[in-house]
Amino acid sequence: MTSQTYSGQEQLASKTEALPRGYFRMRRARSRVAFLVLILPAMLWFLGLMIWPLFNMFYLSFFRWNDSLLNPKLFIGLGNYARMLQDQHFWHGIVNSAIYMAVDMPLVLLPGFVLGFFLSRRPPGSRWLRLVFFAPSMLSVAAVNLMFVGIYLPDGILNTLLRQAGLDQLTRVWLADPQTALGAVIAIDIWGSIGYYGILFYASLSNISEELFEAARLDGANMWDLIWRIALPLSRDFFGVAMVLNFIWIIYGSAQNVLILTKGGPGDHSTTLGYYLYNQAFVAYRLGYSQAIAVFAFVLGLLGILLIRRLTRRSEVA
Amino acid sequence: MTFPQQISLGRIARRSGFDTWSWALGSYLIAGVYALIVIIPLYFLFVSAFKDNTSIFLNPLGLPSNFSLQNFFNAIEQAGLARALTNSVAITVSAELLTLVLAFPAAYAIARIQTRMSAIAEAIFSLGFLIPALAILMPVFLTSIRLGLLYNPLMLIIFYPATLLSLTVLLLSSQLRSVPKELEESAVIDGASHLELIWYVFLPMARPAVITALLLNFLSVWNEYLFALVLLNSDSRTVQIAVSTLKGERIVDYGLIAGGVLISMIPVILLFIFSQEKIMQGMFIGAVKE
Repeated sequence: MTSQTYSGQEQLASKTEALPRGYFRMRRARSRVAFLVLILPAMLWFLGLMIWPLFNMFYLSFFRWNDSLLNPKLFIGLGNYARMLQDQHFWHGIVNSAIYMAVDMPLVLLPGFVLGFFLSRRPPGSRWLRLVFFAPSMLSVAAVNLMFVGIYLPDGILNTLLRQAGLDQLTRVWLADPQTALGAVIAIDIWGSIGYYGILFYASLSNISEELFEAARLDGANMWDLIWRIALPLSRDFFGVAMVLNFIWIIYGSAQNVLILTKGGPGDHSTTLGYYLYNQAFVAYRLGYSQAIAVFAFVLGLLGILLIRRLTRRSEVA
Repeated sequence: MTFPQQISLGRIARRSGFDTWSWALGSYLIAGVYALIVIIPLYFLFVSAFKDNTSIFLNPLGLPSNFSLQNFFNAIEQAGLARALTNSVAITVSAELLTLVLAFPAAYAIARIQTRMSAIAEAIFSLGFLIPALAILMPVFLTSIRLGLLYNPLMLIIFYPATLLSLTVLLLSSQLRSVPKELEESAVIDGASHLELIWYVFLPMARPAVITALLLNFLSVWNEYLFALVLLNSDSRTVQIAVSTLKGERIVDYGLIAGGVLISMIPVILLFIFSQEKIMQGMFIGAVKE
């Protein structure tokens, strides 16, 4: 192997000698220009349509701008933020998002890890299971939520099955009942996300060397040891990744589920922070105010990411 | 009697990667239950598309007694799916191409031209992973008005690539880095320019990453909901938005919804059948970098 590379380099060296002096220096100087030319279109696109709107989000949050785009923008400093802190609906959204997170995160990530570990042992049939687990991740939010409409209807599949099981007292109008609306929306997320994170954990656990498991086996480790002493500690970083993804999804992505299924109702009972942001922007037309909520959600997201990273980063001592 | 049986079960369990048959049984049970939970709603959606409403709710999980395609025709007509599908295809194909045209030279520059700026450029692009769609929805909406492109599919064709650049540049540049230097140098010595290098050397070498990026971007664009909802109107709307209109506020015709949703899923089902492994890999890379 090594001798081959050497001969390759020698060959190249003999070729480069034929080039005029300073060729490569000239190329370096030119390469900077080439770099800029090649990267400029993508960079402008990205700055103009991702970063600039983000600045605009901050900018707009300092204005009162209601009802119509034609109305004048009125600079009110931190007025929208002051209003936000006194807005009951906003706090409702926060509470609901907190519930969402408290229920969704453990119910998605822990089973996800368990399934990922199962798949990473590559038992017979795991190829098919992988396919099934991954299927929901490919569907659009619209498809998934519309699919569940039929399950949650008063005469839907869920109530029908409950009646057939003789559990009539448990039947309800799932999406219109204050007690179950938020839960019904969360359940849809859990339904698809377990498999998604299962696949992600599977991929991350597959990167662990099989020799590690084999060696532990030879030392007499049982399945618990493999899970607790090898797979789980080595997945610590990846738990951080998965928590960040799930956290961001709960703040923002959940808005789409709520929008399609309940529009935040009944009352405020399924209004999450993300949906309230959408609602204020495109239903209530409080443009400036909605961006104050967006800034809040953005900062909350960044703080959450930092916190999760700090909690899950492997300590230096170990 | 039980002794040899236990041994053989244990052997089967070990061959499956588990200590004992109880571990194997327990694991398969958990995985099987979740698989059922995933499959039942999908199956329900599928069979409902071929049934009328009374039979959907009398016998939700039964096979349709007479396969009727009425729901599909009704959905196509009521939601204007023919038009919506055309819009979706046009938007998806154009956004895919534009993304690649923008991302490939950038990824090449980052991966193969040695300057200090490439680290900066990479850092800027990776900011995209931190910007959620909903956060910039309103500002982008205002931009579309300023550009005179509100309700125009062109706005989405222009906008989607910006959201896809972070992942695409990342996928492409990591593959481009692994192209052996000798290949590039011999082409340079033959007098190839950057554009020739990209076209003749790096584009063919990066084919796997290009395909992964195309697949993932296809899914993102085809399935996108929020921006399509806000930036388009009933003439220019995509299939996701059109299908959602099938859900009435009061009366729900589930067979109709199921028919429409299935139609909207056709390309996704095809991708699932032919390239799920590649999509899984790509999603994993994307997730880790986020």
